[in-house]
Amino acid sequence: MTKRRSIEWSLNALAYLVVALMLAPIAWLVLSSLQTSSQLSTGTYDFSQPTLDSFRTMWSAVDFQRYFLNSVIICTAAALLATTFAASAGYALARYRFRGSGAFGLTVIGTQLIPGTMFLLPIFLGFIWFGRNTPFRLFDTHLGLILVYTAFFTPVSIYLMRAYFQGVPRELEEAALVDGCTRFGAFWRIILPNAAPGLLATFVYAFLFAWDELLFVSSLTQENAETIPVGIRTFISNYQQRYDQLMAAGVLSTLPVMIAFFATQRWLVRGLTAGAVKG
Amino acid sequence: MSHVATTPELPVRIAPTRRVRLADNWRRNRFAYALITPTVLFMVAVHLVPTGAGLYLGFLRLNTFTFSELFHAPWVGLQNYRDVLFDELNPLHAGFTNAVKNTVFYTVVTVGATLAIGMAIAVLLNRQFPFVRTVRTLMIAPWVVPSFVVAILWQFMWVSDSGIINKILVDWAHVLDEKPVWLLGPNSMWAIVIPSIWRALPFTILIFLAGLQAVPDELYEAASIDGANAWRRFRHITLPLMKPLIAIQLLFGVIYSVYQFAIPYVMMGSNPGPHADLLMTLVVRQAFTNNLFGYGAAISSLLMLAMLGWVAVWYISFRRSLEPAT
Repeated sequence: MTKRRSIEWSLNALAYLVVALMLAPIAWLVLSSLQTSSQLSTGTYDFSQPTLDSFRTMWSAVDFQRYFLNSVIICTAAALLATTFAASAGYALARYRFRGSGAFGLTVIGTQLIPGTMFLLPIFLGFIWFGRNTPFRLFDTHLGLILVYTAFFTPVSIYLMRAYFQGVPRELEEAALVDGCTRFGAFWRIILPNAAPGLLATFVYAFLFAWDELLFVSSLTQENAETIPVGIRTFISNYQQRYDQLMAAGVLSTLPVMIAFFATQRWLVRGLTAGAVKG
Repeated sequence: MSHVATTPELPVRIAPTRRVRLADNWRRNRFAYALITPTVLFMVAVHLVPTGAGLYLGFLRLNTFTFSELFHAPWVGLQNYRDVLFDELNPLHAGFTNAVKNTVFYTVVTVGATLAIGMAIAVLLNRQFPFVRTVRTLMIAPWVVPSFVVAILWQFMWVSDSGIINKILVDWAHVLDEKPVWLLGPNSMWAIVIPSIWRALPFTILIFLAGLQAVPDELYEAASIDGANAWRRFRHITLPLMKPLIAIQLLFGVIYSVYQFAIPYVMMGSNPGPHADLLMTLVVRQAFTNNLFGYGAAISSLLMLAMLGWVAVWYISFRRSLEPAT
């Protein structure tokens, strides 16, 4: 029995060690953002005297506020739109077997096979064409990126919402239909409120991914609608050695998504695992 | 799963004509069609049409000189493909072959390590111990760090003379005698592989852990009574039950790894060098920095074909193990 005990304890210790190792780089990101530039470049750290200097200098050196705002606007709008599309299409896939539902589901997941570079160039050309021939400006605007991101993150969101709707009991809308609700009424007033955690989780999921997108934003923006990843790229090419400021920028770009994630992780984790485990 | 028909059953069963069946399908599923229409239109406009256009561009000589002609650039048939795949004299051919090798290595190592380590950690966390819920929650954190932050953070940690990794390896633990250079030369592949594994692990752990929790304890108890040790229980109970989850993780892990872009691009710039250049960084550099759009489109098409091939291979190998679970 004691042998068994000691095995249990060493496995517990191993688990704590593993989580510490996984979190170590994040801790290092935060710790080094609180050091000065010279401490970082010489390796003479002093963690007893943290300073917020790097945040202050970074904020004035680069237009971080603008990048941050662009990111917030674009990602929020895109995630909202993607969740809307996903809610309606996901419900259709979860509850109906219509002609073409199989093909539709397959196409949705098939879009994940297309390399981003495949449609980046045509979209780039299309945006320029739109700017010349119509009053809508898409290149280097919030609207252009919102449209692109919505399209990108809709497919996976559809599968997340479908998994959620499959978990909502069928009897709910059957009762609503018997009570004289229209199909739309049942969906809008009964099903959607019951799937609220799923909607929230899908929104956060799409937001996380949009926040991380770099390939498209770096080619489809110039001087107006750049988001944080582009800002960080610009920063690297201008201030290669200022690691303190770079880490400060890293902390500020991670904070919003960390908060969003941990605030909603109960529902998000359930949604992700339900979708994956059921297949 | 069949939908409850709202129309009354016909008194005499006559085989319905195609037209009747279509009309019936439409009447019963009108709402479903209305629900998917916006998504379908949107995806056609932003996914399918541009993808078709991208395929078409692969057959054009579209570069700096012909860029203003856009879709009317000279048609060169399969020339771009021939140049990239077979023309030994074309500098792009060497770059492409090298990027293919790097991408295969990167994908195999990243996905393989993520699945193996992820399974080990999931088994480790699928036990009861103090703070188990906190540990499981905290474990997800690296997945939430944006990949461009992953890239700048690890680049900073990899710095040869003052970076924390060399400090730990050489100055503190004395594992190595000399500080290796991570961001240039042969080591640079590891400089992108290790952060990629670190970021991919949490999601894999999450999925495997959810799968493990669904395995009934009675199975393990029965096996223990029969005298099966921990390894045999894992090998003959856990692994077969987890096969569908492993298959799905493998499928998407390979696709996401092959399309990895942000980590090498932010860490090492638009040209990560011959040891770390992946297909995506190659395509973006050739298409958008060197304006070789036709080549970029051709390589992207090849990539898409390769991924279709991968899905086919995957489906044939795992078809059996997916059926009972789904």
